[in-house]
Amino acid sequence: MSSRGATAVLSRASRIRSKLQTALEATVLEVDDVSYQHAGHAAVKGSSDKETHFNLNIVSPKFEGQSLVKRHRLIYDLLADELQSGLHALSIVAKTPHETNPSK
Amino acid sequence: MTTSLSSILFKGIAARSFTAPLTRSCYHGMRYFATVSNDPDTHDDFKPANKLENSNISLADVIEQDVKDNPVMIYMKGVPDFPQCGFSSLAVRVLQQYDVPLSARNILEDPELKNAVKAFSNWPTFPQVFIKGEFIGGSDIVLNMHQTGDLKEKLKDITSKQ
Repeated sequence: MSSRGATAVLSRASRIRSKLQTALEATVLEVDDVSYQHAGHAAVKGSSDKETHFNLNIVSPKFEGQSLVKRHRLIYDLLADELQSGLHALSIVAKTPHETNPSK
Repeated sequence: MTTSLSSILFKGIAARSFTAPLTRSCYHGMRYFATVSNDPDTHDDFKPANKLENSNISLADVIEQDVKDNPVMIYMKGVPDFPQCGFSSLAVRVLQQYDVPLSARNILEDPELKNAVKAFSNWPTFPQVFIKGEFIGGSDIVLNMHQTGDLKEKLKDITSKQ
């Protein structure tokens, strides 16, 4: 990862994190690259890009009052460029701070 | 619930590894198309056809008819019996926990259909699930709704016609 930091182009994981943090002001932002789990995935065979699958866990006040579909769509919109340039799939958990601490 | 969920997830993983070496020819001839309703106004072009390209109805109209006529409609990678993606497999297995008829189209067979569904729902990934004409979301949301009981609520008035 440190060697990647040395290159001029950010890794997809870094770009994803940066875009989401800027827009969502997340209190929790976990971006896990699980592309290795889908290495044999038929739909991505031949893809030269290795960063194809990510699990996202995001806690942000921006999700307040939003349905699950709207939250996911918001995230997809923010990452539209990535989805068009090799990102294949996202698993998304999107919650408000209140939902992670119901007692408050 | 936890046991049931673990079972679903396990089956999903098992299904994925089982189907990994699957070649396209294994399910050649096994096609899942939306059934046509008994609506007397249904246009002939909506009747089952081997290839969507033969229809002069736009793909957007095909999709609109699909989700209208089929109470549970899934656009997925592969077909319910042979999913070619862990996410599509998961969504199918969750839905199959309920006794409802599941209609499916394999978007890997038709790139134009794939793009048309993305545009129709404004959603960039697959699977995509529609229930009673309403876009529900992908496998994450279907699984979440299953866990919260929302899915059971939404499906309660859809009965199997078998």
